[in-house]
Amino acid sequence: MKLYQVVLKDVLRRKKRVLYATLGVVIATMTVVGILTIALAGQARIYNQLEKYGANLSVIPATKSLNTGLGDLTLGTVTVGENYIAEDKLPQIRQITDGEIKKALKIDKEGNIATIAPQLLVQANVKGTSVIFVGIDPEEELNIKTWWQVGKGNYFDGLEQVVVGSIAAELLNLNVKDTIALNQSKVTVVGILDESGSNDDYQIFVPLSLLQTSFDKEGLISTIDIRALCTACPVEIISDAINKEIPGVRAVAVKQVAATEMGMLDKISKFMLALGGITLVVGGFGVVNTLMTSVHERIKDIGIMRAVGASRNQIIKAFIYEAIIIGVIGGILGYGAGTLLAYIIGPLIFEGTSVSFVPRYLPISLALAIFIAVIATLYPAFHATKIKVADSFRSL
Amino acid sequence: MLEIKGVTKIYGQGASSVTALNNVSFRVEKGEFIAIMGPSGSGKSTLLNVIGGLDRLSRGEIILDEQRIDNLGEDDLVSIRRGKISYVFQQYHLLPSLTALENVLLPLTFCNAGGKQHRALELLERMGLGKRAKHKPNQLSGGEQQRVAIARALVNEPLLTLADEPTGNMDQKTGKEILDLFSQLNNEGRSIIMVTHNREAAERAQKIIVLEDGRIVDQIQNQRRVL
Repeated sequence: MKLYQVVLKDVLRRKKRVLYATLGVVIATMTVVGILTIALAGQARIYNQLEKYGANLSVIPATKSLNTGLGDLTLGTVTVGENYIAEDKLPQIRQITDGEIKKALKIDKEGNIATIAPQLLVQANVKGTSVIFVGIDPEEELNIKTWWQVGKGNYFDGLEQVVVGSIAAELLNLNVKDTIALNQSKVTVVGILDESGSNDDYQIFVPLSLLQTSFDKEGLISTIDIRALCTACPVEIISDAINKEIPGVRAVAVKQVAATEMGMLDKISKFMLALGGITLVVGGFGVVNTLMTSVHERIKDIGIMRAVGASRNQIIKAFIYEAIIIGVIGGILGYGAGTLLAYIIGPLIFEGTSVSFVPRYLPISLALAIFIAVIATLYPAFHATKIKVADSFRSL
Repeated sequence: MLEIKGVTKIYGQGASSVTALNNVSFRVEKGEFIAIMGPSGSGKSTLLNVIGGLDRLSRGEIILDEQRIDNLGEDDLVSIRRGKISYVFQQYHLLPSLTALENVLLPLTFCNAGGKQHRALELLERMGLGKRAKHKPNQLSGGEQQRVAIARALVNEPLLTLADEPTGNMDQKTGKEILDLFSQLNNEGRSIIMVTHNREAAERAQKIIVLEDGRIVDQIQNQRRVL
């Protein structure tokens, strides 16, 4: 018979008391696991939202706006420079982007890496309503807007087709297979996108070349979205390089927005973890308290063990074994309760977030729970070692 | 084997001090069975406590097996309890969560002498509890519990067993069975010191030491020893 077996049998006899001691550990680990799980869900949500920005970089025409005015009187805005980017700058932009990524990630491979999606925006009338037509490279655009779902019909499979945003379709009463006039040419509606909550819902998408020829904008594009497809990509370096080498365009790194949002989340997480830390301490005191009571209850048992040859270290060991049992139970229950808490509270904090349980938090939860339980046990255990074998045979 | 030399124990200080033991001296030879008698408050339990290392002396020496044990540190006392002195209590003091067998094995657990399960079982069988080995203390009668406690006290083969009113909680018949057991153990050569206020129990011993107000008032060589 080993010491741990003696402890285990004793714990089994005092189930209720031990569970009570476990409660403090459960509350502490529950808070921490809950916070971590919610923070992770929030992070996933922010990443998702960033995905909706689609691009890591946007390239726009380098126009300068000058506000003219006379006193308080605004006389309008004078725009200086071209409103379009020449399409023939695309290869150069691709070269710079891929070149910088390859340099940063040390890739020698040939071929394209980044997704580069040009857009041409044209305002025109459909059935008497003013709509924005967006000329796109269907394949590249879909690579950037991964969340696009074609609700009705299909995505592009040829020229002279359009795909319509959900709200535009509703407002214009457009259905699949309807035809609309695009200046002189006729095009067929092949698909209607599901609502995405972005500007896309109000727009009509047309293959770039078709839009260019229909509106006499050959070789022109309005913006270029670039997606580097990696989180470690040197977005700032790419935008600097584009700005320096290609005149007439301005590249903006969207990542800055991401960094700000992530920074916020990071701060919130840290604050919540600090709260969790306090709960941890409070929970620890709870454990100390119950274990102190349990020491008092077991003065007799400890005295017996001492009388039959237990050393002080063995008494401390027995308490630590008990702490480990409390820690394991508390860690598992705390993980479960924390995950449950995250399921309940998570959606309230990050609206529409689906919280999922995180298996890798289980070992963290266990380690944490055992750590608190052991730390909280040390004082009661030390206290227990001061119990004399018996102050007298009688009092035992 | 055991020598008690001028043992004095004073509780408290100054005017309010109480002398529980006053210059007590006697010897216990190997294989001897000694009973300590006396009225309540005569110091007999205090004497057992100081012999067992549970209480410190004010003056005097206790020598067990040519080793002074009255001035030992905590760690050395642990090793004394693990092999040289064992206790039998009036209240049995078994661990309620363990079975009879496990209670007997407990001393072996603490001195890391596993694998002596057969020895513990043998002892239980000798105590007539072979079939009760898997029972918890609350499933055993008082006499049975005390027999488990005696088996526990013997499992480490101690030099000396100290018993404090071992039959104090029992009816006469059960008490007699336990006393028979002590006599039998003594006949096998075990050394026993038993505190009792029961004349009948004391008469099992070879020597009866009578205490009064912390002093030895009589040492009787028991001629009509009950065996």
